[in-house]
Amino acid sequence: MANVVFPFPFPEHLIALLPEIIVALAAMFILLFDLFLSGERKKWSGWLAIITTVVAADATIRLSTPEPMVAFYGMFVLDPFAVFTKVLICMATAFGMILSLDYMKDEENTGEYYALMLFAMLGMMLMVSSNNFITMYLGLELMALSVYVLVGYQRHVLRSSEAALKYFILGALSSGMLLYGVSFMYGITGSFDFAAIGNALAEGTEGAHTAALLGMVFLLAGLGFKVSMAPFHMWTPDAYEGAPTPITAFMSVAPKVAGFVVLMRVLVDVLPSLQGEYITVFSGLAVLTMAIGNIAAIAQRNIKRMLAYSTIGHVGFVMLGLIAANADGYAGVLTYLAIYLPMTMGAFAIIVLMRREGIQGELLDDFAGLAKVRPVYGLAMGLMLFSLAGIPFLGGFWAKYAVFIAAIEAGHLYLALLGVLFSAVGAFYYIRVVKYIYFDEERVAFNFADSRLIQATVAVTAVAIVAIGIFPDPLMDICKAALVGLV
Amino acid sequence: MELNNVLDFPILSVSIFLPTFGALVIWLFVRGDQAVRWSALAVSVATFLATLPLAFRFDTTTAHMQFEEFHPWIERFNINYHLGVDGISMPFILLTSLLTVVCIVSAWQCIEKRVKEYMLAFLILETTLIGVFSALDSILFYFFWEAMLIPMYLIIGVWGGKNRVYATIKFFLYTLAGSVLMLVALLAMYFKAGHTFSILDFMDYPFDFTWQFWIFLAFLIAFAVKVPMWPVHTWLPDAHTEAPTAGSVILAGILLKMGAYGFLRFSLPICPDASQYFVPLMVTLSLIAIIYISLVAMMQKDMKRLIAYSSIAHMGFVTLGTFMFTQQAVEGAIINMISHGFVAAALFLCVGVMYDRLHTREIADYGGVVNVMPVFAAVFMVFAMANVALPGASAFVGEIMVLIGTFSATPIYLDFSTKWVAIGAATSIVLSACYTLWMYKRVIMGDLVKDTVKSMPDMSVREFGYFVPLILLVVWIGLYPLPVLDVMHASVEHLVEQATASKLDMAVALTQHAGGH
Repeated sequence: MANVVFPFPFPEHLIALLPEIIVALAAMFILLFDLFLSGERKKWSGWLAIITTVVAADATIRLSTPEPMVAFYGMFVLDPFAVFTKVLICMATAFGMILSLDYMKDEENTGEYYALMLFAMLGMMLMVSSNNFITMYLGLELMALSVYVLVGYQRHVLRSSEAALKYFILGALSSGMLLYGVSFMYGITGSFDFAAIGNALAEGTEGAHTAALLGMVFLLAGLGFKVSMAPFHMWTPDAYEGAPTPITAFMSVAPKVAGFVVLMRVLVDVLPSLQGEYITVFSGLAVLTMAIGNIAAIAQRNIKRMLAYSTIGHVGFVMLGLIAANADGYAGVLTYLAIYLPMTMGAFAIIVLMRREGIQGELLDDFAGLAKVRPVYGLAMGLMLFSLAGIPFLGGFWAKYAVFIAAIEAGHLYLALLGVLFSAVGAFYYIRVVKYIYFDEERVAFNFADSRLIQATVAVTAVAIVAIGIFPDPLMDICKAALVGLV
Repeated sequence: MELNNVLDFPILSVSIFLPTFGALVIWLFVRGDQAVRWSALAVSVATFLATLPLAFRFDTTTAHMQFEEFHPWIERFNINYHLGVDGISMPFILLTSLLTVVCIVSAWQCIEKRVKEYMLAFLILETTLIGVFSALDSILFYFFWEAMLIPMYLIIGVWGGKNRVYATIKFFLYTLAGSVLMLVALLAMYFKAGHTFSILDFMDYPFDFTWQFWIFLAFLIAFAVKVPMWPVHTWLPDAHTEAPTAGSVILAGILLKMGAYGFLRFSLPICPDASQYFVPLMVTLSLIAIIYISLVAMMQKDMKRLIAYSSIAHMGFVTLGTFMFTQQAVEGAIINMISHGFVAAALFLCVGVMYDRLHTREIADYGGVVNVMPVFAAVFMVFAMANVALPGASAFVGEIMVLIGTFSATPIYLDFSTKWVAIGAATSIVLSACYTLWMYKRVIMGDLVKDTVKSMPDMSVREFGYFVPLILLVVWIGLYPLPVLDVMHASVEHLVEQATASKLDMAVALTQHAGGH
C-alpha cells in the first residue's frame, strides 16, 4: 500500500481507485457547474477539466508502488504498467482539452463536452487497470460511448454527425464481437479473470483449445477495431475527418494507448497458451495494416484523413512489438506510444490553428507556403512530419527502432524488412506535406487567430520530440520499468 | 577501453557540433541578410580551422583510429557515442569543412530569398556530414547518415530550379529506401555479433557466408544509391540540375563520397568473402557507369546535367578501384574521390558563375564566352582539363593508380583477366575528354554572336577567390600527392589485409565451438 495520508476518511480497499474517483466526481461536478456559467466564463469548465487531468495523473503517480495494488477482489489492478499508461492517457486528454479551449469556444454546451472527455478518460483509465473482462468491458464501453458523442459534437455539421453514426454502428458491432469472444472464454473456463482464464486454458483439453481459438479470434477482432487494426480500420478515416480536430487529436492517441494496453494484458495473461496462433494471425494483420495505412495515405488530400491512415500505418508498426512477444517488444510498444503522443499532438495543434476565415484549413493546399509566412510554425510542423516519418535526431526514429529491434530479436526479420519498406513508403506522404509548407507559395492567406495555448502546445511537443530524439535512454528505461506489472 | 587521442581534447565533437551551435546562434540572434552571410562564413571558417589539427597531428604510421572519443549513449542497446578517424576518413572531414566554406561564399549573391534558412541548412548539413565520416558506432553513423536527408531535402526543394520538387522527393525517397535496408542489416548484426553496434567489433566478428551475403546486399543497396551506381543513379541528374549551385557542390563534393566511404568502412572489412564474391557484379556495374554513362553525358544539352553524368562516370572509377583489393587501386579510388570533390565542385561553381549572369544552363545559349570573360575561361579550362584527368591534375593521379591497381589485381571470382577490365575503364579517359572538351568548345570558344553573352561581365574578385584554393589543391595533389598518400597508406594497407583475409575459417570454428557445448 502506498503511503498516502488522507485528510478525510477513505475506504482503504478503494485506494487504488482514487484517481478514477477523482475524475468521476470532477466530471459530474463540471456538468452541474457549467449550468451556472455563461459567455466567456464557459471556458472555466474547460480549465477545471484540464486541472482534473493533471490531478488524476499526479494522484496516479503518487499511488505508484512496485507491488501491484488491487481493488474489488482483483478485478482492478494498479501496477507500474497501469500507472505509466494512465499518465499517457491523462496527458493525451489534457492536450486534447487545451486544443479545444479556443477551437470549441463558439460551440454550445461546452461544459458537457469537457465532462464527456473526462468520462472517456475515466473509461480508458479503467481499461488499462482492468484485470478482468467485466471491468475491461465497462471501461471500454464508457470510453466508446463518450467518444461517439464527442465525434458528433458539432451536430449542425453534416459530416460530424455522419462520422459519429458510422463510428457508432461499427463500434457497436465490434463491441458485440468482443463480448462474444468473452462469452467463449467464460464458457470454456467459467471465469472472467484474466489470469484464471489463462491458467485454465493452459491446462485445458484439445477441445477447449479449439474453442479458445475461436474465442481468441473474436476477442482480437473486437480489440483490433478499437486500435484501428486492418481490416477493422474502415471507420477511422471518416471518424477522424468528421470529428472536431481536437477530438481527432485526442482519439488518435488516447484510445490507441488504452486499446494496446488491454491487448497486451490479454495476450500476456489470457492467451499465453495460444501464443503461436496469435502471432500467426497478428503477423498477417500487421503486414496488412502497415500496407493499407501507408499506401492509402498517399491518396489523401485532407490532412486529417491522411493522418488517419498514417495512424493505421503506425498501428501496424506497433503490432510488431506485440508479435515479438518479449519484454523488449512490449517495452517497444510503450516507447512507441509515448513518442507517438507528442508528435501527433504537435501536428494536430498546428492543424487546429489552420482553421481560419471561411475555411477549415484541413486541405493540404491550405498549408501551402506556411514556412514563408509563419516560419516557426512551418519548422514545427516540419519537425513533427519528419519525426512521424522516422528520420533520426527526432523521436519517431527511436519509436520505430524500438519495435523493429524487438521483432528482429524474436526472429521476425521479414516483418522488420517489410516494416522499414513501408515506413519508406510512408515517408513520401509526410514529406509531401513538408513540400507544401516549404516549397509552395501562399494560396490562402494565413490570417488565423494566434493562440498562446497552441503556441505552448507546439513548443512543448517540439522540444519533447527533439529531446527524446537525442536522448532516448531515459524514456526507454521508464518504459522497461513500467513492464513490472505485465511480465 | 583505451582511447587513442593525442589531443586530450574532443576535437571531433567540436568539429561536428560547432556548425550546429553556430546555426542555433544565428537563428536566434542574427538579423539581416548581410549579417547572416558574414556570421555563417565565420562559423564555417571556424569549423575549417577546428578540423585542421586533424591533419597536422595525424599519426601516419598507424592504422588505428585516432582522436577517439567514447561516451555511452543508449546503454540498453549498447549504443555508444564513439568517434574516431583513420587515414581513410580524415581527408573527407577536411574536404567537408573546406567545401562548406566554398559553398557559403559561392551562395553570397545568387541566394537572395530566405538567406538565413539557407545558411542554417548548410551548417546543419555540415554537422551531419562530419558526423558520418567520424562515427565508429553504426547506429551513430546511421543517425547522421539519415539526418542529412532533412537539410538536403530542403536545400534542393526550396532553392532549386523549376523542377525542384520532383527532384528533391525523388532524392529523398531513393536514399531513404536504400538506407532503411541498411538499418535492418545493422539490427540483425547487433544480435549476431553479440549485442554490439561498434563498427570495429563488426569488422572483427566472423560472419559466415550466408550472413555476409545478405549484409553485403543490404549495404550495397544503401551505398549504391548514394554513390550513385548504375541503375539507381537516376535521382542524381535531376537533383543536380535543380539544386542551387552550392547544393550541387556539396552534393557532388561530399554526398557522393558517403556511399563509396560506406563500401570502404562497412562492406569490405565486414564482409570480405561476400565482397570477393560480388566482384563480378561490382566490376560490371562500374564499367557500365564508366562507359555507358560517359556516352549519356556526351549527349546532354544542360551543362549541370552533363557534369552530373560525368560525376557518375567518375564514381564508377572509384567503385572499380575499391573492389580490386589492391593497395594501389584502393588508394587511387580514395584520391579519385578527393580529387573529384574539388573538380566536380569547381565545375558546378563555373556553371554557377555563368548561370548567375544569364540564368540559363543550356549549352546552346552560350558560345564565345572567352571573348568577354577571359579570366573565367582560363579557370574553367583548368578544371575541364582536370576532369579529363590530364597529367598534372589530381584526377590523373587517382585514375592512373586505379588503372595500375586493376592491372595487377587478381580477384578470385573473376573469370577473365583484369587487364580487360582496365582496358574498358581506360576508355573513360577518352570519353571524358570527348564530353568535357566538346562542352568547353561549345560554351567558351567560337565567335561571339549572341547579344546576351556579349553583356556578360568577367568574374568578380569574390568569385575568383573561391576558385583559388581549389586550383591550388587540384594542382598540388596532381604534382605531389605523397602527403595525401602518406596519410592513408597505413589505413589502406590494413583495409586491404582485412578485405583479403577470409572470415570463413573462423566462422566455421566458431560454429563448431558453439556446437561443442
